[in-house]
Amino acid sequence: MAIANESHQEEKNMHEHHGAGRYWLIWGVLLVLTVVTVVTGRMHLPNFGLLLALVIATVKGTLVALYFMHLSEHRGANRIVFGVSIVFVVLMLVIPLADFGTRFRGANPPGSQYSDLQPPDIGTGAQRGRFGGGLRPNQTKDTPETPEPGHH
Amino acid sequence: MTPSSSLDTAGAAPHDEHHDHHPSYLVDGTTIKSWLLTVDHKRIGVMFLFFILLFFLVGGIFALLIRVELLTPGPTIMDAMTYNRTFTLHGLVMIFLFMIPAIPAVFGNFMLPLMLGAKDVAFPRLNLASFYIYLTGAVFMLWGMLNGGLDTGWTFYTPYSTHTTTTVAPVMFGAFIIGFSSIATGINFIVTCHTMRAPGITWFKMPLFVWAIYATSCIQVLATPVIGLLTVLVAVENLFSFGMFDPARGGDPVLFQHLFWFYSHPAVYIMVLPAFGVMSEVVSTYSRKNIFGYRAVAYSSLGIAFVGFFAWGHHMFVSGQSTFDAGVFGVLTMLVGVFTAIKVFNWVGTVYKGAVEFSTPFAYFCGFLFFTVFGGMTGIALGTVSLDVPWHDTYFVVAHFHFIMVGATIMAFLASLHYWFPKMFGKTYHEGWGLVSAALIILGFNATFIPQFLVGNNGMPRRYYDYPERFQALNVASTAGASLLAFGFLIIAFYLVYALVFGEASGKNPWRSKGYEWVSESPPPTHNFVGPQVTFPEEPHFYVDPKKAEVPDAV
Amino acid sequence: MQSSAHTADGTANVPRLAAHFASLEVQNHAARLGMWLFLATEILLFAGLFVCYGCYRFLFPEAWAAGSRSLDLFWGTVNTIVLITSSLTAALAVHYAKEGKNKMVGVMFALTLVMAMGFLVIKYFEYHHKFEIGTLPGRYYFYEGMQLPGITLYFTVYFCSTALHALHVVIGMTVLAVAMVRAFTKKDFGPNNYTMVELGSMYWHLVDLVWIFLFPMLYLV
Repeated sequence: MAIANESHQEEKNMHEHHGAGRYWLIWGVLLVLTVVTVVTGRMHLPNFGLLLALVIATVKGTLVALYFMHLSEHRGANRIVFGVSIVFVVLMLVIPLADFGTRFRGANPPGSQYSDLQPPDIGTGAQRGRFGGGLRPNQTKDTPETPEPGHH
Repeated sequence: MTPSSSLDTAGAAPHDEHHDHHPSYLVDGTTIKSWLLTVDHKRIGVMFLFFILLFFLVGGIFALLIRVELLTPGPTIMDAMTYNRTFTLHGLVMIFLFMIPAIPAVFGNFMLPLMLGAKDVAFPRLNLASFYIYLTGAVFMLWGMLNGGLDTGWTFYTPYSTHTTTTVAPVMFGAFIIGFSSIATGINFIVTCHTMRAPGITWFKMPLFVWAIYATSCIQVLATPVIGLLTVLVAVENLFSFGMFDPARGGDPVLFQHLFWFYSHPAVYIMVLPAFGVMSEVVSTYSRKNIFGYRAVAYSSLGIAFVGFFAWGHHMFVSGQSTFDAGVFGVLTMLVGVFTAIKVFNWVGTVYKGAVEFSTPFAYFCGFLFFTVFGGMTGIALGTVSLDVPWHDTYFVVAHFHFIMVGATIMAFLASLHYWFPKMFGKTYHEGWGLVSAALIILGFNATFIPQFLVGNNGMPRRYYDYPERFQALNVASTAGASLLAFGFLIIAFYLVYALVFGEASGKNPWRSKGYEWVSESPPPTHNFVGPQVTFPEEPHFYVDPKKAEVPDAV
Repeated sequence: MQSSAHTADGTANVPRLAAHFASLEVQNHAARLGMWLFLATEILLFAGLFVCYGCYRFLFPEAWAAGSRSLDLFWGTVNTIVLITSSLTAALAVHYAKEGKNKMVGVMFALTLVMAMGFLVIKYFEYHHKFEIGTLPGRYYFYEGMQLPGITLYFTVYFCSTALHALHVVIGMTVLAVAMVRAFTKKDFGPNNYTMVELGSMYWHLVDLVWIFLFPMLYLV
């Protein structure tokens, strides 16, 4: 019966049933890309290391999505769903990054790359916030080196 | 709304003898089990309605407690810690237990399949699961609030929420669980719109309420997981001091705020978009006129959903975020106003030269319109950085969001309750009392919240139980208005319950509306439509000429 | 997000059509779309942690580099390969389900589960090592060898991300186990009835997808 929706179209898109070979091929490509990731990662490229790792990861992810998850066959709404979620992930990432990068430097966490303040000395096993903070009265174990504040 | 034999009269309307073997959904199975284990979207909608109204009562009582406390400076009926818990509970219950589910879970559930000519939503059992997940989350949240109570405000900002010894974990866990209910509903509705439209209903022949619910569901699916993660992170940090947002360990509380408002700003569009959708339906029916600019309204729903994700930083103008970000967010916030204005313009264009039938839902529409415009305009004003700096965390902000949440959304909720009352229960309510209570509510609302704009502009901070003497007069005025508002709601409760039990049968389409949902019986049978697959030959609300007195259609 | 496709009804490979769906193709389409939407929510869930990662890495690059070097790259790479291979077997399971070869479906899922278990075991050893030397999140951090600003944050992010991921691995394993049992006992998957296999497999691929991003982010800074 004529349904006013996309199910019919999707059924046609998914009709073709290919061999299992393509999965093995994609698996091989993914392994190669993993090796590339590890090798280039260990080189610790100063400028574009992160970008390269992300690009390779994106390629791998795209391959998984398109071929293992059959997104190349599930057209239409499924692709939009996946694509839109990625867009919003990027949005959610970029704007706080821009915030930290362009903020008044005194408002960034002390000790960070974009702050001029000294980092708090958290010491070993330090369990209190720098200004004491309203932490719970029943604290769990302290390591032996750090005395509790107030017990000088 | 508990199943009882007194509802038996609802289903068997006198002229429906030939429908005896297609009983209405209300009487098709009268055991408790048939209700508690139902997969019928209509019954699930009714069950949601019961609990949503219950939680509205709880939240409303706490609102009254707040207002009574604010009658005098200094402690009036409670101390500071209790006051903090009171407004936290008011916010949490109203937002998570009432506003977010209200229109989608009740009217979305009930009307969506009817409006699409479908027999049910795409995943009926997921629908039922969504209901029970909602209840479970509500139990955790309320249990946490009653056992010590959270005092962070509903926004549970770090670092206080990660250090306070009040009951953060159960409330966070409750919020986390409710998030799943929201997501499940969203997924259900999106898939229903994509796959269950009757033959002939293309995307641009769907009723505008469906468009609004669809846009809302998109927001629910995309935004809710972030708050889910955040509640877990806060609970974990409160319990175990992992330090994700702890400045002493290099964390940043403003990052919490970014993640929090990434959900919570689109959340307000989850609350308001369905309201806009209802209003599109109501305004067409009572003006007996097609909506003006159908495509513009449909696209603007999607537009609000999309642009709503770009505006979250306007809650953070004074938090320490960069001025660059503040500027970006300030500009992007304005875009939402554009889409909302499109809707307002189109609603007014619909009423213009329509044959208006002034009835209770239309009265609520009038209130809604006024409150949306003023609430929206104050929102645009607040979205301007230079104006927000003095207004931030004052009662001006409180008044703004109550204008939208109560003024717009609750007016729409009441309008939909009255508009769809005959559809859902097959009964009519007393129109006179309907108009009286609408007037009381609109007046009471104005009396409650306009003083709050004034007192906020004069500098009274929010979430304070104490204030200087000079603010007292306006606070007393606000409390008086709140009492009037509460009285109005009480009247509604009385005459609606009366109508449910003793009301006359309404007939199939008492408003002679040409919305698609009125094609089925009122109340509908369990599978919505009887006979072969229903089709809707015309677009929704296809009124020929408002000036011609139309005879009641056999639609 | 599970479809309403019920178990086979007498004849093999014939799923029951739920009453409210217009046809089987609509039902399958609905199930797939529902699953993609659910996966979108999972992506957004992890995204919150990715944002924390991104922002704090931006702020504390030395701590991130140091913390990353303290992780065992070898076992991390092994885990990645294990997970990618488990994704392959899950995809093959769908392939065989479309052909109606139920035994192969069961075998493939069994292999996936074994590899998932291997992933978790390796992860356990990694965690155990961290508990020993003291590179723990937040207040529990006591490793003398790395004392830089932001180092505790690195491990907070590490533990939160990998714990959330491991939780999803366990959930995925449960779903696949159910499908595997059904493939071995009911043997009713076929070209008209492979929705459960497909959806379970999609979830598993998402778990793999998240790890594909987590691996370079955590181990290769």
